[in-house]
Amino acid sequence: MIELERISYTYPHTVKTALNHLSFSLKKGQCIMVTGPSGAGKTTLCLAAAGILHHEYGGKKEGRITIEGKDVASYGSLSEIARKIGIVFDDAEAQMIFTTVEEEILSALEHRGLDAGVIEERLESVMAMTHITELKDRSPHKLSGGQKQRVALAATLALGNEVLILDEPTSELDEHSTRRIAEILRDLKRQGRTILLIEHKFAHFRDIVDTIIVMEEGKISASGNPPDVLGDDRIRKIVVPDFSGIGKRSGTPELAHEEARLPAVTVTNLSYSYGDIPALSQINLTIHSGEFVAIVGENGSGKTTLVKQFNNLLTPTEGDVVILGKNTKQYSITDLSRDVGLVFQNPDHMFFADTVRDEVAFGLKNIGMPDDENIIDSALLDAGLAHSKDLYPRWLSRGERQRLAIACVVAMRPEILVLDEPTTGLDGNEALQVIAILRDLQRKGHTIIIITHNREIADHCADRIVRMENGKIIEILSAEVS
Amino acid sequence: MSEILAYVHKDGFFHRLHPVTKIIFIIGISAVCIISTNLVFLLGLVLALLAIAYLSDLYTEVVSQSRLIVMMSLVFIVITLLTIPGGDLIGYLIPAGVPLIGNSIPLTWGALGIGLILSLRFMILIYAFQLFLISTQPRDLVHTMERMRIPIDYTLMFIIALRFIPTLQIEGKRIHEAQLARGYNPGTGIMGKIRSVAPIVIPLVSNALSRANVLGLTIDIRGYRTGKRTRLREFPVRGRDYLVSSLVIVFGCFYGAAVFFQLL
Repeated sequence: MIELERISYTYPHTVKTALNHLSFSLKKGQCIMVTGPSGAGKTTLCLAAAGILHHEYGGKKEGRITIEGKDVASYGSLSEIARKIGIVFDDAEAQMIFTTVEEEILSALEHRGLDAGVIEERLESVMAMTHITELKDRSPHKLSGGQKQRVALAATLALGNEVLILDEPTSELDEHSTRRIAEILRDLKRQGRTILLIEHKFAHFRDIVDTIIVMEEGKISASGNPPDVLGDDRIRKIVVPDFSGIGKRSGTPELAHEEARLPAVTVTNLSYSYGDIPALSQINLTIHSGEFVAIVGENGSGKTTLVKQFNNLLTPTEGDVVILGKNTKQYSITDLSRDVGLVFQNPDHMFFADTVRDEVAFGLKNIGMPDDENIIDSALLDAGLAHSKDLYPRWLSRGERQRLAIACVVAMRPEILVLDEPTTGLDGNEALQVIAILRDLQRKGHTIIIITHNREIADHCADRIVRMENGKIIEILSAEVS
Repeated sequence: MSEILAYVHKDGFFHRLHPVTKIIFIIGISAVCIISTNLVFLLGLVLALLAIAYLSDLYTEVVSQSRLIVMMSLVFIVITLLTIPGGDLIGYLIPAGVPLIGNSIPLTWGALGIGLILSLRFMILIYAFQLFLISTQPRDLVHTMERMRIPIDYTLMFIIALRFIPTLQIEGKRIHEAQLARGYNPGTGIMGKIRSVAPIVIPLVSNALSRANVLGLTIDIRGYRTGKRTRLREFPVRGRDYLVSSLVIVFGCFYGAAVFFQLL
């Protein structure tokens, strides 16, 4: 269906080749999964295979791409290629144009030159297949990440293309939503669709992948059927990240010492409602200084709402939250930011300065700390960004931006660090790096609280795992200390 | 959080009107409120729009932005009072007792009247547009604009601008929270707003721009710009549309004529 022959590509105004003499072919009914570290050229490969590079981007191109036997350059426009190939991007929000789910899919269908009857029929079947029928009157931007991605997938499937290209469709999704996407793809494969999938989560797609392609620095470093490719130790570590090596802190902390100190966080009978909608109910939790706690649970279980109480971004409707002896109700967010550093899921929500250094200095100025080079350097060193000090924050890779977000907060020297989904959207190695940094900070005496969907990270790194469901804590597991 | 100008899925009277009827309604209301200088009449129009919103089950959504509208109105009134003196004198902003600059900056009834007229017009325009936008699905709007022979690129630009308002609103809130968590305290009042511009607007605009590429590709891939479309589920023109359109046109013409011949 799609054939790439010795493709090389360099983006306009850059010198580094994004794709370097890359060849592969995607056959009818086949599912190829492309994986590899961030910046390896996976998205560029997607754009090339979908004909987008040729029709929408400048830059230097070499080699030949054929779609259904016809050279990509001989197609008149992207819309013409889009009749053969459907593509779903990782940013689901950006693919939503209309204000109800049904409207979104219907509008995509209207432009295919189909009869009204066929359109109605396909609308129903596509919504049923992606399990969004019950969401049809909802506004796309109010849905959860997983639901949004299913709507984006449905709008693309509605076009009825034989070939489907998906660029990291599950990168921002939790376990449950990822499984649902995998189930949908399994059904599509069974129907004989041809799939090119860019993914980091091999385990979820294991049973549908025929060929796995591992990319590094614009080149294919391994390709073939999964058991063969994963036979190579080095390659396996790229495809399936191993968090077991991180290990927990060695030995239990001295109990007497711990008891002498104040608990880092004490939550007593906490309930919280957004207007009339209850979000947290009767939460009781104590987190000790120096602990590494993972909060797990599905989307909407109240994890983020809980951690926002720790620095008074949200004030309890009932009950109390005490941080290092301070009741949050009596302190401002700025006061509490000296004790609790909160890093949100998307680091891009905080960057506005021109350099990495200024970005870190911003937090220091806010709480009246000296804008000291040593403090900034040490925070950047902790985050492994010592060499990026003068760069523009948005030019950094996704993993580096996540680490910069951590550095910005660490520089403010809060005892407690709270991170909402610190590894979502990162590849395996970047996630490992972030977790290693957090373990290191714990060793230096910080209390670490993370929200995560990644069960493996929670199991391997946390001292305790707090499981939440429907606004309640349903269990607290103490992990064994290794 | 109430969302500005986002479509609300309901089935009230205004929702059931054809988009063209609503466009005629807006044009009619806007024309009448611009030619009118009668305070009582304009106030009547504001109340009439609120009544329509109430009867169409959209009252809560329409009044949700009232705080902003009142603030803007006050700004209008203050500016006109300070800059357009006319009519009888109310007094001076700086009293006679102040040495050297006493009895300066006159405040007049005429300026107050103009300020009030401007504010009421502003309210009418905002309420009318809000009623239109929150009761019309973008898809119907696209169809209508297409029938009005507006080029598809302009239609898409308009739809996307509207569609991104709630997204930016939610994103803005998240960015605000992220900066607050970094100890950022821009303070309250106007100075606080000015200080908070860079840390909030820069990430907001940068994130929106990075999204534009995917959005543009999606539009092309789904073929929205081809302009060829299967017509289905089009909004039917019903009796009530003829009724409302006729009422608006007749009322507009009569009012226009009355003002022109100075009967009012």
